[in-house]
Amino acid sequence: MLEPGTWYCRILGIVQYSDESRDRRVTQLRKGILELAVMGVLYHERHYGYSLVRVLTESGSISLKEGTVYPILARLNADGLVRSEWVESDQGPPRKYYGLTSSGRQLFDELSKEFELLISLVQRKWKGREQAAHEGKKLVVRKA
Amino acid sequence: MYPEVVAKIVNDYLERVKSQLRLVPAREQEEFLREIQSHVYEAYRQTEGDDDVARVLAVLRNLGEPSEVVADRLPGTMVRSGAKRNLPLYILTGILIALFGIPLGFGGVGVLIGLLAAVAGILVAYFAAAGSILLVGAIFTLLSFVRFALPDLWDKLVLLGVIQINGPAAEFLDRLSPPDQALLMILIATVFVACGLGLLWLGKYMLRGMRFLLTLTLDWTRRFAQTVRRQLRRDKHPGLPVSQVSFVKN
Repeated sequence: MLEPGTWYCRILGIVQYSDESRDRRVTQLRKGILELAVMGVLYHERHYGYSLVRVLTESGSISLKEGTVYPILARLNADGLVRSEWVESDQGPPRKYYGLTSSGRQLFDELSKEFELLISLVQRKWKGREQAAHEGKKLVVRKA
Repeated sequence: MYPEVVAKIVNDYLERVKSQLRLVPAREQEEFLREIQSHVYEAYRQTEGDDDVARVLAVLRNLGEPSEVVADRLPGTMVRSGAKRNLPLYILTGILIALFGIPLGFGGVGVLIGLLAAVAGILVAYFAAAGSILLVGAIFTLLSFVRFALPDLWDKLVLLGVIQINGPAAEFLDRLSPPDQALLMILIATVFVACGLGLLWLGKYMLRGMRFLLTLTLDWTRRFAQTVRRQLRRDKHPGLPVSQVSFVKN
């Protein structure tokens, strides 16, 4: 009933699915996963903000606003999942290093299991559709 | 550390970040600014290029707008630093909501239901009127048939008082021959049937409008319920951001 594009939806300001809407969804998706990725990086090694960004973006597969890691670090710090420490640097101003606490490690283990389950759920659905489409094509060929 | 012009740009950026952190305690504010300063320096050092201004601008562009850098920092800080201090205010707000908000909320739901009921009533009345007009058209068609094909039955019906025509209409009809009377009644029947069908056709749009209003109301209610549900979940797991609440096992 409330289909975007109809006149009443235009009056009510309900817009059609757009690139902006897609970008918002991608951002939302990344936001949760990025926090897990940050925890994953800090699980193995201590990092300061800039080095953390470099590790996250070194694969080059995602573009990341560097500033977005600081709110994540702040949240993790507030929840007691990371601990921070200022370390003097001979190359410039002191760096604030972060590392996962034991509760952070424990939570990361739990969250990564959940995450793997979610990934398998998404991929299973996708494979199912792909297979169905493939079988459909086979049927068409036989009929011809 | 930086060339003068670069230092000015960096300081300006840090001032903008600082202005976003007005509500954050001074110590926390200072520490965060030092961290951002460190980041800018590291990134500047790693960025290649001959033009210092272009280098620092690229660094700040990659870092993001100050509002993005401090995003989510304010709420947590405010909750930690101000929750106890504002407790009486929260209690007072709660009492005010309980006293006025809930009754007003019920009033709002009442008004909404009343409006929907009124619109439904108008719709029912409209279709009843359209049905009546169509019925009148059908009766006139039947009477014209009787007048034309069964004149004896017509006379009997007039004698029995089933058909009563008085006043100027009766005088006018008396001047016409029975086939003309039948023809006139067919014309009247056609007009009534056309009006009835026209009303039914227009009613289609009224029905759509009503359905739209109903769907809209249900949609708003659903969204409201979702918002409340999310809020309750967030309250249940205050330490975690909304994006992670679904990961937590109850």
